[in-house]
Amino acid sequence: MKKTKLGEFEELVLLTVAALQKDAYGVEIRRELEGLLKTTLSVGAIQSALKRMEDKGFLTSEFGEPTQVRGGKRKRIYSTTSYGHKVLSEMKEIRATLWSSVPTLAHELKVI
Amino acid sequence: MEFGPYTGARTEGDMSQDPPKWPLKLLRFWVKDEYREEIEGDMEETFRLNLKQLSPAKARRVYTWEMIKIIRPILLKNFKATPTFYRYAMYKNYFKIAWRNLIKKTAYSFINIFGLGLGIACCVLIFMFVQDELSYDNYHEKGARIYRVIHGEATTADPKNGTFAYPPWVWNNAPIGPALKNNFPEIEKVVQFSGRADILLTYGDKLYQEDGIFFMDSTAFEVFSWKLLKGDAKTALAAPYSIVLTETTARKYFGDEDPLGKTLKGSDSPGRGNAGDYTVTGVMEEVPANSHFRFNALLSLNTFRKSRPEIFDYWGYVDTYTYFLVKEQFDEDAFKAKIPAFLSRIRETPDSRYLIAIEPLKDVYLRTTAERQPGETGSLPNIYVFSVIGLFILVIAMINFMNLSTARSMERGKEVGIRKSIGADRKSLITQFLGESLIIVFLSTVVALIIVLIALPNMTGLTGKALHIESFLTWQTLSVFLGVIFVIGLAAGSYPALVLSGFHPVLILKGITRSNAGGASLRKVLVVFQFTLSIALIAGTIIVYYQMNHLLDKDLGFDKEQMLVLDYNYDGIVNQKSGAMKAELEKNASILSVAFSRSVPGSYFPHAGTTIEAPDGEMKNMGQAIFQVGMDFVTHFNMKLVAGRTYSREHPSDSTQALIVNEAAARQYGYKNPADIVGKKFDQWGRKGEVIGVVKDFNYISLHKTIEPLTLPFEAYASRYVSLKIKTENTVETIAAVEEVWKSMAPHRPFLYSFLDDDFNKQYQSDFMFKRLFTTFSCLAIFIACLGLLGLATYTAEQRTKEIGIRKVLGADLGNIVGLLSRDFIKLVFISIVIATPLSWYVMSQWLEGFAYRTEIHFWIFILAGCIALSIAALTISYQSIKSAVVNPVSSLRSE
Repeated sequence: MKKTKLGEFEELVLLTVAALQKDAYGVEIRRELEGLLKTTLSVGAIQSALKRMEDKGFLTSEFGEPTQVRGGKRKRIYSTTSYGHKVLSEMKEIRATLWSSVPTLAHELKVI
Repeated sequence: MEFGPYTGARTEGDMSQDPPKWPLKLLRFWVKDEYREEIEGDMEETFRLNLKQLSPAKARRVYTWEMIKIIRPILLKNFKATPTFYRYAMYKNYFKIAWRNLIKKTAYSFINIFGLGLGIACCVLIFMFVQDELSYDNYHEKGARIYRVIHGEATTADPKNGTFAYPPWVWNNAPIGPALKNNFPEIEKVVQFSGRADILLTYGDKLYQEDGIFFMDSTAFEVFSWKLLKGDAKTALAAPYSIVLTETTARKYFGDEDPLGKTLKGSDSPGRGNAGDYTVTGVMEEVPANSHFRFNALLSLNTFRKSRPEIFDYWGYVDTYTYFLVKEQFDEDAFKAKIPAFLSRIRETPDSRYLIAIEPLKDVYLRTTAERQPGETGSLPNIYVFSVIGLFILVIAMINFMNLSTARSMERGKEVGIRKSIGADRKSLITQFLGESLIIVFLSTVVALIIVLIALPNMTGLTGKALHIESFLTWQTLSVFLGVIFVIGLAAGSYPALVLSGFHPVLILKGITRSNAGGASLRKVLVVFQFTLSIALIAGTIIVYYQMNHLLDKDLGFDKEQMLVLDYNYDGIVNQKSGAMKAELEKNASILSVAFSRSVPGSYFPHAGTTIEAPDGEMKNMGQAIFQVGMDFVTHFNMKLVAGRTYSREHPSDSTQALIVNEAAARQYGYKNPADIVGKKFDQWGRKGEVIGVVKDFNYISLHKTIEPLTLPFEAYASRYVSLKIKTENTVETIAAVEEVWKSMAPHRPFLYSFLDDDFNKQYQSDFMFKRLFTTFSCLAIFIACLGLLGLATYTAEQRTKEIGIRKVLGADLGNIVGLLSRDFIKLVFISIVIATPLSWYVMSQWLEGFAYRTEIHFWIFILAGCIALSIAALTISYQSIKSAVVNPVSSLRSE
């Protein structure tokens, strides 16, 4: 596997973007992840992960509609690129492969 | 209201519903512009959400904290990459490349920066010296309107003839002053003064002989801009026996007391002022160092007038300097046109050839041709010589710079090729290379300033004048300096800039230009030029050195070594006791002989008119220098008698009826054989008798001048000096013993002694200064030239590393390699020798014209100069060539 330079947190953010589809903008991604991870995340953490992945080519973005809640500022809607998708599924496969061998290993260890 | 519009007026209580303002400003400052809208929006939305769950205060705290956490590298503005800086990016690159080049080639950078720095420093120092010489008498506010009179004898008696038969004198008669004032309405004030007088001043127990006092007209302070600190400028020098002291002199006598109104007891000043009590009427600031005459004190001219009133009406008596101030509208030519008419009015007899001319104050220090000056004069040719040397040094340093840059142009060629192929145009390349040379020149300037600051205190020993950096830190000199630095940078960088930028990128990158050797021929021309200058300077130094030794070693026709001279300034009491003192001093075994005289060689002497019988029997009156001497003068100084005898105690009539002359005087009266003048009648200063002897010509003044006719009449009681010939050993004890005798026999006079050879050589002070400066700067010039040569040799050796390796492999020995590397340079040095020889021969023979007695310019001097240059160059080159010749060919061939 070639080096994807995808960090753990970045992978989570990337997955969230992929899951949220049209709603994938800063605050929504954060709320989703906070819910799942049961922790608080800062805007800065989310934003820097997004920007970094955009630089790496996993994400693209475009401006959405401005809303009053945002003080008239437009949202930036993120979406995964096909390259991002590919990397995500590669990661998933790697994990799946590893997981599939975990129980046996654990069992054998116990026997010893 | 909760999601109300963001802007608009709000009540006090609603303020908590809004996020705090300052974190937003922080965000706007830090975060990249393209992210700002999105992140601001996210923050705002988050804040609104938080408001629903948290207290407004807490929500605001969270907001602030979050805002701070946004400061992450990826979100921050990249200040270096903001559009405003883009246009400087290329310059940044230029600086980077320039810096890398400096660091990478430390030796070249050192030679460039240090050599150029040294060159600039020399220039600055020489400039300071020249500036100081040119600043003489500039401080007089009315300087442009001050003139002085020079007197002499015209070639004919026609008043319209304005040609001086001999060099004119500044020092002359007194009546010219009032006569000018009465005849020329354009003259506002006349200042006359007399000096320099040496008188003994006493205040309480403080007693000093003051050398260099002037009897000064009362108008002095209205004409010259000397600052009177105490006293009234109008009246300070009016009354007889008034004295104005400079600050230092005043402190010497009075310490912290107020000198005004105090009395100083003054001895008589022979021929000028009788002894008397002087009242201090003023204290003035020290006379600026850049004055053409200086003094410690001024006595009123009326003191002189009161003591000897008759000479102020006597046109034939020479003891006055006459300066005058003209009115605002002054036409110098009109003034000069009126001089012939004035002359015919004042000439006392129709055949008088008395002639005057005027000199503006600005010319008196450097441009005067007159003799008998009130003070030291400078030398314009010396200024030219030093300016030229300064320029030479700078040019040599600049050539180094140009040579090293062109030599290395091939290395930079690749860079130029790449820059050109990615779109650099010629203009930007020129900018780059000129900029680089400006950076180097700037660094050199810093080095130069450090050198100047270090060298400045030592310049006093070299030039005899204290130069201060402050007086040169005016905006004019600084702007000139910066301008010159800029021009140097452009000139030094111009060749590499123009040539390198003209390279064809394709050819360079292919490596084809290597064959046309990057300005090799220009480099050769420059090296020849450099070495021509250096060799000319070496030859000049040798000639100056020989001439100065010649001056010091030449047999002057009298003994000047081991001759102690005591100055008692014509003191009457000492003169009365002279016989007893001589007897007392000669008791000391260390003292070989003692003689009294009015003048000693190298000191002041008057002139007199003497009538002597010519070979045809006619009595001829002519003027000569006159040394009034005591009985033993001739034998004491070991002068040779060509004919006749010297004064003798066996001939009592010698005291009034005898005269000794020198060979030149005998010739002056028409005697081809000097012996023939012996026994002829003479008439001098009221004395009549016979010439009894002729002394061999001796140099009683500096060797700049030929020996003029001289008479040595016997005058026992009008002496000023005692000269003692002493043995070489125990000099200190002998001087102490002489002082003992002096204190017992002349307690009223301070014991002032000096050595005759020192006094005599003081006449060469400016020549020695010239020698020191010339030698110093020539050595520096050669040093800088060699630095450049070393750089070039190193470069060539580096270029040919491979070639040397292959030659060695094929069997070349050390000698072959060294010869190979040196041959080209040595050839250039030979060409330089050929060019430099006639050049320096011409210039130095011009310089030697200033000496009546000069060493010959032998051809071997040029051979020697050439050899010196050649060996220095060979040494410089051989260091590098041997270094590269001994390198193991394996290591030089392996490297790529």
